Formats: sequence, C-alpha cells, structure tokens
Amino acid sequence: MTRITIDGRPVECRPGQTVIAAAKENGIGIPNYCWHPGLSIAGNCRICMVEVEGNKKPQIACKLLPTEGMSVLTQSALAKEAQRGTMEMLLVNHPLDCPICDQAGECILQDFAFAVGQGASRSTTEKTHGPKNVPFGSKIVYDSERCIKCTRCVRFTDEVTKTGELAMGNRSDHEIVVMTAKGEFTTGYAMNVIDLCPVGALTSRDFRFKSRLWFMDFTPSVCTSCARGCNVTIGARQGKFLRMAPRENPEVNRWWMCDAGRLDYAFVNSPTRLAQPMARDESGSWRETTWDDALDRAIALLASASRDATGRAGVLADGNATLEEMRLLQRMASRLGGAARFAARVGSDADGFLIVNEKGANAKGAERLGLERQRAPAPAAVLLIERDANLPASWREATGALVVFAADAAHLPSSARVAFPFGTWAERDGLLVNADGFVQEIARSPDAGPEGIVPALEILEDLIAGIDPAYEPAGRAGVLDEIRSLPAFAGARFPAERTAGAEAVR
Amino acid sequence: VPSPRSPGALYPETKILSRNFGLDRAWTLEVARSRGAWRSFEKALRTMTPAQLTDEVKRSRLRGRGGAGFPTGVKWGFVPKDSPKPKHVVVNADESEPGTFKDRWLMEWDPHLVLEGAALAAWAVGASRIWIYVRGEYPLSIARLEGAIEEARRAGFLGDGILGTPFSCEAFVHPGAGAYICGEETGMLESLEGKRGHPRIKPPFPAVEGAFGCPTVINNVETLAHVPWIVEHGGAAFAAQGLAPDPKNPRAVGSAGTKLMGVSGSVRRPGVWEFEFGITVRELVEGYAQGALPGRRIKAVIPGGLSMPVLTEAELDLPMGFDELAAAGSGLGTACAIVMDDACDMVEASENIAHFFADESCGQCTPCREGCHWLEKIYRKINEGRGEPADLELLESLFPSIEGRTICALADAAVWPLRSILRKFRAEFEAKVAAAAPALVGGERG
Repeated sequence: MTRITIDGRPVECRPGQTVIAAAKENGIGIPNYCWHPGLSIAGNCRICMVEVEGNKKPQIACKLLPTEGMSVLTQSALAKEAQRGTMEMLLVNHPLDCPICDQAGECILQDFAFAVGQGASRSTTEKTHGPKNVPFGSKIVYDSERCIKCTRCVRFTDEVTKTGELAMGNRSDHEIVVMTAKGEFTTGYAMNVIDLCPVGALTSRDFRFKSRLWFMDFTPSVCTSCARGCNVTIGARQGKFLRMAPRENPEVNRWWMCDAGRLDYAFVNSPTRLAQPMARDESGSWRETTWDDALDRAIALLASASRDATGRAGVLADGNATLEEMRLLQRMASRLGGAARFAARVGSDADGFLIVNEKGANAKGAERLGLERQRAPAPAAVLLIERDANLPASWREATGALVVFAADAAHLPSSARVAFPFGTWAERDGLLVNADGFVQEIARSPDAGPEGIVPALEILEDLIAGIDPAYEPAGRAGVLDEIRSLPAFAGARFPAERTAGAEAVR
Repeated sequence: VPSPRSPGALYPETKILSRNFGLDRAWTLEVARSRGAWRSFEKALRTMTPAQLTDEVKRSRLRGRGGAGFPTGVKWGFVPKDSPKPKHVVVNADESEPGTFKDRWLMEWDPHLVLEGAALAAWAVGASRIWIYVRGEYPLSIARLEGAIEEARRAGFLGDGILGTPFSCEAFVHPGAGAYICGEETGMLESLEGKRGHPRIKPPFPAVEGAFGCPTVINNVETLAHVPWIVEHGGAAFAAQGLAPDPKNPRAVGSAGTKLMGVSGSVRRPGVWEFEFGITVRELVEGYAQGALPGRRIKAVIPGGLSMPVLTEAELDLPMGFDELAAAGSGLGTACAIVMDDACDMVEASENIAHFFADESCGQCTPCREGCHWLEKIYRKINEGRGEPADLELLESLFPSIEGRTICALADAAVWPLRSILRKFRAEFEAKVAAAAPALVGGERG
C-alpha cells in the first residue's frame, strides 16, 4: 500500500493502482474521458489533470503512479485551470447539439463541462466539421463532430474483443474513428462501444431517437438471454422496454454484454402480450376474466387433474423462472402428485467470453432446487412459460396443460383452459443462479410490460392454498428463507435484502 | 573555447562531420574507407568493451543533435544490461523540421559515417538491429543508406559474427510516409512497428521498452555521426571543443564539439556548414549566409528549425549553443536557422506556422488537436482583416492551455514560436486588427 493524500484526504493505493483509480475508489471525483478501468491507459483526453504538490506542471491522474507521501490536489488553481483549459478545447469544435443528442442526460461531456468548464464559449471562428451519421455496421451510428477522440471504442476492439474493427483515421482536428473493414463487425460485442463512448458520438441504431433519458425509468437487473446473467440496467418508458446496457460486475461480466443479449427484448414488447387472465368459455374460445374467477377455475381444474391418470400431474417451468417461482412450483407439484421439471434451450454459440450454451437463465438454480431437466416433450398439468425460446410450440402442446402462466397469448397450448398473464424478466422480482453459481437478482421495471400483472408468486400460493387448505402462504420472504436453508444453497452468497432496485452479487 | 581569430575574419569552419561533403563518390565504401571510415568501429570492437565505449561518449559530453540536446552517453546508459530481450538502435533520420536539412547532407554524402556511428551505438548497448527511419521525401538518402548497408555487410561490418567477433548486427532502412510526428521518437517507434505515428505515453521509456517492446536507443543521424571521431580521438578531445558548461551550474552540460548549422529563408546564400559551438547567430546568418536578400533587412530569426522561440534582429549576437540560447528564452533546436526579413508579415508568418503544427498534430491529445487549429483559425481571422482586439488576448490565454498539456512536445513546439512572435512583434498584430474593415470584423461567428 502506498499512502498519499488527495485534497488533504488520506488515501491508500494498491500496488500498481493509479491515482485516478484510487480517487474513484474513495469517492473523489476526477473528470475522465479516455480512462476506463477495463481498457489500457491512453492518456490522450487530458481532462484528468491534477496538481502534484512540488510539481509546476499538472499531471494526468490516469497515468500518475503514487509515491509514498505524494500530495495530489484536484481542486487547486493549477488543476482547475488545466481542466478548464482542456474542457474549452473539447468544446471548441463540439456541435453542442445536446437538445437532439441521445446521450444528453447521461453524457459526461455535459457533466464535466458543468463541473469544470466555463459558462460561455470564447470561440468566434467557425467550427471544424466532419462526417456525421456514419454507419458502423448495422447496429451503431457514428458522429465524428460529437466525437472527442478518446479512442475508448478503438481500444475496446483492439484489447477486449481483439477484432480490431475500429481505428483512428486522418490526423489533427479532422481525426475520426473509422471502421477498418466495410460491412459488419466480426465481434458479437460491438455495441459495448456505445456504452463506452463518453459522448453521443456512437449511438445505438436500435435505441436512438426513441426517448429522452429523463422520461425513462432505469432498473438494475440481470440479462436472461443465456445463463451467464450479465448484469444490466433496463431502460423503459410507458410500458415499453427501450434498451438495456451492461452494469459492472467484476465477477460476472465486468463492464460488457453481448449484442445478442442486449437486443433480445422484443418478446417483452410483443403486441400479443397477455395482460389479463383468460378462460375458455363453453364454446372453447378465450375470453378475459377476473383474477378471482381465473383462480377458481384453475383450482377446480387442478383438483380434477390430480385425480386423473393422464400423467399430467407434473408441472413444467421455463428455465428462466426464478428460484422463488420454481420453489412454489415444486410445492404445487407435490400436492398434485407429480414432479416439477424445467425446460431450457441449449445453444451451441458459447464463445469463451460471455456467451454460454445454457440458455436457461436459472437452469443452475433449478438443478440446485432439485427440478429435473425435461429433455423431451412430456405432459404436465401446469405450464409456466416466459419465452418461446426455451419451450417451443411442440413442447407446449405435448404438455396438455390445463393451467398456463404465459407472458404471451401466442404461447398458450391448445389444451389450456385457464391462462394467467406472466411477467417477463423485466417485470418480475426474483433470484437466478447463473452458470457459474452466482445468485443474482432480477427486478421489476416499473415501466416495462403491461400494467396490472399480479406477480406469479402470489397466484401460485393462492392456487396451492386452493388445492391444499392446510397451506399457509408465506410470501416471497418465506419462500426465500426456505431456499436459503436448503443444503444445495449452503454457503451461497445471496444478494442483500432488496430495498429499492436489485443488487447483483459483487 | 572558439579558436582565436583576427578581427573581421569569419568564425572558422571545421571539417569533421562534413569532411567528405562534396568529394567525388564520397558515399561509396571505397572512398569512405580511404578517408578513415569504419576504423573507429573496428577499434571499438577490438579494444573497447561496450561499457568503455559508453563511458567515452559520456566523457565527450556529446548532446543529442535532433533538437532536445539530451546527453547521448547518459541515454545509452539507460539501456538495461540484464534484459534477455533483443535490443535495438533506431536512427532518427526523419528530418522533417521546417528549414532543417543537415542530416540530409550527412546521409547523402557520408552514409558510411552515419552507419558506423549507429554500429558503434549498437556495440555500446548490445543491439542486434539498427533501424534507420528516413524521411520518405529523402529518396537519395534512402538509396545512399541502402547502398552503404549493402557494402558494409559485404565488407563484414554488419551481419553475423562481425569482424570475427561474436557480435552480430543487421541494419535496415525504413522510409517514413510524410508525417512530422514520426520524427518524435515514440511516434517513430509506433510507425516503425507499422502503427499510426501516435507518440507513446511515458513511462515506459524507450530505453526499457522501445521498438517491438524491446530496449531501444534512439539517436539522431548527426549525433551518431559524431561517435566515430570520439572513438578515434577520445571523449576528452571532443569535450575540449565548443562551449564549456557554465561552471556556476553543476548540472550544466555545455555544448561540446562541433555542429552542423544551416540557414534558410531570406538570405543570399542558404546552406549547411560545420562549426565548433560558439558562432553567433549573426555570424551564421550574416557571415556565412551573407545576410538578407538585396534591399532587405533581417527582421527575425528562429535559430533552430521552426519549433523554437524567435529572436529579433537585436538578439542576433547570441552564441549558437544549447544553454546560451535557452537562457535567452529561445533554443538551439536543430541549429538550422530560418531568417525572416522586413518584408515578412509576422501575422502571415504566424498563420503559416500555426497551420503547419495544426496540420501535423497527430490528433491524439485534446489540447494539441483542438488548440493548434483554434490558433490557426484566429491567426487567419486577423490576417484576413476580420480580427478584433480581444483576439490577441484570446491567443495569449490559449497558449498556456496547449503548452505542457500533452503527451509529446509538438504542442510546445507550436506555442513557442507563436507566442514569442506575438510578444516581440505585437505592434504588427495590433495594426492589422486596427485596420480591420468594420464590416468584416468577427465574421463566420460559430
């Protein structure tokens, strides 16, 4: 440990840790653009300049290695003037088109201009212009005028994906980022450069122009596209899932996520989402009903199902169901005289980086709970399906299920008599166990999906109580207590009790 | 101490580096060997250890001739002795500094001298590779060096087991592609490795991690060309030439030995000559270069390339020496002076200088990339009669945001001449602003 002071505050730096990293770890803000903890040090943006007492020249904190007793000043006249000077340079040719820029609201050029910049421009000459609306593959759009040439995106494709699709082109103030090859990125992780871009130079073709940031809700959650469980933040507005972006977790996904996972949310916004409980009338056609009516019908159907000999006593869960949901399905199955099983797709696209073949976001959790993995179509009395991918139509039909929890009306098997709307992962609270055994939490985005969906946990407990009058609903907390006490979860780290938003295990 | 001379006589030329300039077929091994080429290399290889050679160069007080003036022996001493990696010598022959053409003469007339110096450096640091990074616009230099390498290899001065010793070393010429920034030593290393010429952030320094991640010594052409003479005559003899260090300053290195000095611009006889350090700027530009063109008067001189603060006519009696010019607020730089006469509009000159540095900025660091262009735009505005008094204050206030704020010294090199011109010739700027047509003032406000 090297002991230094930053603005008079004692700070301990680990071996090799730079001053900017130590400062950030200790909550001391130093503006930065080119510096990113996941990339090499470029030292080119020159905004993180600080004063080292005894040095007449300001130093860049991102490359500054501490020496015992070093006194770093981030707020001295020298440091502030250096930062102001660089900020003025960063803005002199910047279009300042914040009102039409997607980054506005989450732009650190805005933030640090406010913090260390000056109010008015001193430029009286024409700005330098450059290419705008340049496609980088089909998913990313580049605006060279907004670009501050920090090279984060270039270093990402050089150092993280090692695919080298991006490079700096030209020289001096017409320097721009260029794609080294025409066409598409070869990496499936290209969209991370959008999050890496500190300004609005790289925008997502999928998300741009859809919403101002300040109209959206952001919910920390976990991507369920595969069992890696990359930590993400969901952005939603007025019932629409608009985007997700990776959230740092050093043990799971560091700062990154794959493009496939990022764009895998169309099912959340599906126009055929089930929003109301449904029941088949005498003529066999679906009609909306109340939650109570649906519950009554479901209890009656399940009571008879447990007595028939069709082999439908079991329960089949989507491999993306949460631990809590799966635990209740187990309770239900035991009362129906059958077993709880799960189904999940297994892909062949594991890439040794983040994507794993297991597509059941909670397959590991299901196995720990003791759910059997269903490997061929089979009957079940109750079906719980979040997404088509894990349970294709032939499997759904083969269940002959009477009671179905489904996110989408299109996923109801012809046998279904009662259907409960099921929230997608963006609309549910619960725990998942990722491929490496980390217990992580998904959380309900207040703005994604249809309104008024009663959590499946509540319906499941009501159903169990309907079948078994001795059953005492314990709520999510009770279910969680039970899961924690299971031998299969001994020693597992659970996310802290949630107060607001989800917290993934760090 | 400069040689005594009679009043009125020109400061004497010396002929050490330049001894073969103008000789018939001086660039061939045959002529070069008849004039002593490769003798020092053979002597060092047979009689001096690498450490002894480095010590001899340290004793000579030879300073880098590329512009920065770093002591050469000290630089060689930074190369780690115990590194298991191969080591490299990179010869900085990317002579792109405006008004500078001294290395070109060495490479065109005496490529064996350059090569011998590089081979000595390779012996001193244990390098197995010499890379000569030559400015792409110097095709004759490239051809002469390639020819010299071929001859030297055939004669056994390069290759495997040189002169029957276990020492092996190969030399290669690598032409540049026209970027000024590739003359910056770490920009050069990047370019040599096939990457963009973006200067590297230091540390690590090239001596530890240079070309291809290996310990590397980078020396200017002229610096290395001095080494054979030092080996032949001893470091002390070299140190006895030129300007001694200031005895009051224990850290001063002085300006030992001789130096190729050039003059271009508004003079009757532009050229390159070799002198012991100590000739004054005036003796150089008025004596050897024979002063301003007919009917003109010298107004200003940048003593070394474009990247140094300007001297006014009244300051020309300063000696051409590292410490002496630095003390006067300028610098020796490449010691190739650019002369401006009374017909030269200093605002126009400033716009031209700003344009050069703005255009040559590699684009990496914000203050240089954005700042140099901003300067250029302001100079153009003033020059085109759209200037306002506030523009002069703006210029002054931008310099400190550019100087000393970047990875390499290109931004400093832009600020130094521009700021000194604005300060020393401010009246010309004020006159231009005052004469600006009111209808045009400001203009293209963006």
